[in-house]
Amino acid sequence: MQTNRKNSATTIIPAKKRKLISYEGKWGLLLVSPYLIQFIMFVIAPLIASLYFSFSQYDMLNAPQWIGLENYEKLFNEPLFYKSLWNTLYFAILFVPAQAFLALLLAVALNQKIKALKLYRMAHFIPVISSWTVVMYVVDAIFNPRFGLANSFLIKLELEPQKWLNDEQQVIPLLVLVAVWKGIGYIMIIYLSGLQNVPNELYEAAEMDGASSIKKFKSITLPSISPTTFLVIVLSTITTFQAFEQIYVMTGGAADISAAGGPNNASLVLMLYLYREGFSFLHMGYASAIAWILFIILFILTLLQLWGQKRWVHYH
Amino acid sequence: MKKKLLPAFLSFVFILSLLLAGCSGDSPTGNDTENSDSEQVTINLGYYSGGKSDEKMQELINRFMEQHPNIKITTQSSPYGQFFQKLDTQIAADEAPDVWLSDGVLVMKYAERGAIKDLTEWINRDLNKEDYYGLDSNQDTDGKYWGVPQGIQIGALYYNKELFDKAGVEYPSEDWTWEDLKEAAAKLTLDASDKKPNEDGFNSENIKQFGLTFFSITEGWFSVLKSYGGGILDESLNNSVINSEENKQAFEWMVDGMSKGIITDPADLNSFQSPMAVFPSGSAAMRIGIYARVLAANEAGLNYDVTVLPKGPDGERFSPVITNSWVINNSTSDKKAEAAWEWVKFWATEDEVQKEWAALGEAVPVKKSVAQSDTFLNSTDKPENKQAFLESFDFAGSLDTNAVWSEWVAKFNEHARRAFLEEQPIEEALENADKDVQKILTDFYNE
Repeated sequence: MQTNRKNSATTIIPAKKRKLISYEGKWGLLLVSPYLIQFIMFVIAPLIASLYFSFSQYDMLNAPQWIGLENYEKLFNEPLFYKSLWNTLYFAILFVPAQAFLALLLAVALNQKIKALKLYRMAHFIPVISSWTVVMYVVDAIFNPRFGLANSFLIKLELEPQKWLNDEQQVIPLLVLVAVWKGIGYIMIIYLSGLQNVPNELYEAAEMDGASSIKKFKSITLPSISPTTFLVIVLSTITTFQAFEQIYVMTGGAADISAAGGPNNASLVLMLYLYREGFSFLHMGYASAIAWILFIILFILTLLQLWGQKRWVHYH
Repeated sequence: MKKKLLPAFLSFVFILSLLLAGCSGDSPTGNDTENSDSEQVTINLGYYSGGKSDEKMQELINRFMEQHPNIKITTQSSPYGQFFQKLDTQIAADEAPDVWLSDGVLVMKYAERGAIKDLTEWINRDLNKEDYYGLDSNQDTDGKYWGVPQGIQIGALYYNKELFDKAGVEYPSEDWTWEDLKEAAAKLTLDASDKKPNEDGFNSENIKQFGLTFFSITEGWFSVLKSYGGGILDESLNNSVINSEENKQAFEWMVDGMSKGIITDPADLNSFQSPMAVFPSGSAAMRIGIYARVLAANEAGLNYDVTVLPKGPDGERFSPVITNSWVINNSTSDKKAEAAWEWVKFWATEDEVQKEWAALGEAVPVKKSVAQSDTFLNSTDKPENKQAFLESFDFAGSLDTNAVWSEWVAKFNEHARRAFLEEQPIEEALENADKDVQKILTDFYNE
């Protein structure tokens, strides 16, 4: 629609002077203005401000001072930045496929006609609506190195007890495990609606041809829900890059921000690094630079995903 | 026509309400125009708190307003973490309270960035400095005062009498050195199968009861470094002195204790809900603790007492002191600042206020007369030997607090952790910590 109008405006010279905005357009603008105003006040304005801050030295208590590219230079020379960038990527690489795959399996299972279906669906959704603080207590009961269930289980099996979240190698995989468990219900719901939109005729036709269940899944279900998978992957990539609360709560940030980030900064992700620099150390300019780099990375990743979707996403 | 007006009207109302919601937010500094009647001044007071202390604060504020009918106090309070996070953004927006309660370690952060008022003249004029504990800890290197103490936290050695009795070890004495402490602590350490560190088959990886719990700067390494003659910053607070022989010795004492399982190392601590919980839960026989830790110990019903912290090898002692203080917003009007000063004076000079606050048991009273009175020393609550906290003032010092305190502490902790967990030799950790801390200091002070 929009492109059509644009074309007509450029190719056909209107007889009368066209109004800048039509009557309907004015109404439209008026009706969306609550959102627009909010968008400008709380999204666009802070966005511009943070861009400005990223080129200045700003401690929040005094006016920002323009220092050009210094924050970015500092950033690219800071080992902790690369470490937190790697930690974030590592988290995403483990989390995004694991969550999508397991949620799909779960959704397929819960798309059957089985007894107490609603109960199962609900059970998987409970972690989604629980707060991270509550989740932390559950996780602690299991993975506490001294009193946790996991270690007493290992000891029973005469295996070495583990340090879990206190171990540099284990901390990110463990955080991913918990994040998958907590988020899976949400993604499962998205998949369920995707599955229910697959036309039944396709299955019926396949059955007439004598296709096996696995064959049906591979050739009908997977391609049909590929737009859903695409949505899920884009969404969860973005959430991973913004992951903050989980890691803040589960690696001790609530008690001591300098401890947040796990043993030897093994779980220091970009958002946590940003928070620590900005709000604990008052390097708001530097933190803004981190935010912009984060934005650019996410933007590129999303573009790549959009470009890649042509190869595997099928729309009806 | 009427039909068309309705949506217009609705959206108008909606936009308006949205704008109002966006703009309202209580802006205490906004309605400054009190030149109308009888010199009424309204000041906004900010403090961090929770539960019991919140009620008491409100009560004291009401009493203050009765005594000063021309001053009205509005308050804003929130739990510790949120309070300071909000405060920084409020200062940035020029919306901060006219007077607020600052954690002692953060006073210099605000002072050196020009966010709070220099109170030197007023303190010289109105307060008798000899009357107070902790006034000096809000003094900068130029001798200016930036805050007035509200309550004092000072470190002492807590010990669990029950665990000492059970192990047949004598209670800590005032003559203890850190070596004495470690010897006693070794007798108080038990692994999961109830073995002691000198017994065969003792497993230092799986400790049930630690001799000493030890963490962070305040309740861990700082007093040890200082009493060994080491430390973090020089007198100017602009230079690191981390890489020293004294610090190395202190670290050897700490790392040795941790590797033997006598002292909690950073990884041990993570197995508790909170590092604070080790002592009150009875999982450690001793702790280095500030005064506020009596609350948790009493709540847990522990049979414990306190004494002064041990001496270093040369007989030196050090007890960390944190002076939580009232500070006044630098950008507030003169009139409001004066009203705020009245409140600060009310708090500092009135014995009754000090006594009532002391009764909450959160801090050592700042006024010496109250701290040395029966109200504080002989209250029925444990610990019995509250005198130890007052004695500790003889060898007390600040935590080298300066404008970038939180930042250098985080950096130092990072390196100390590696040494504590023996991931890095002590010399190397100290060398790296020295370099990194110095960089933080240089970045801030040599701009």
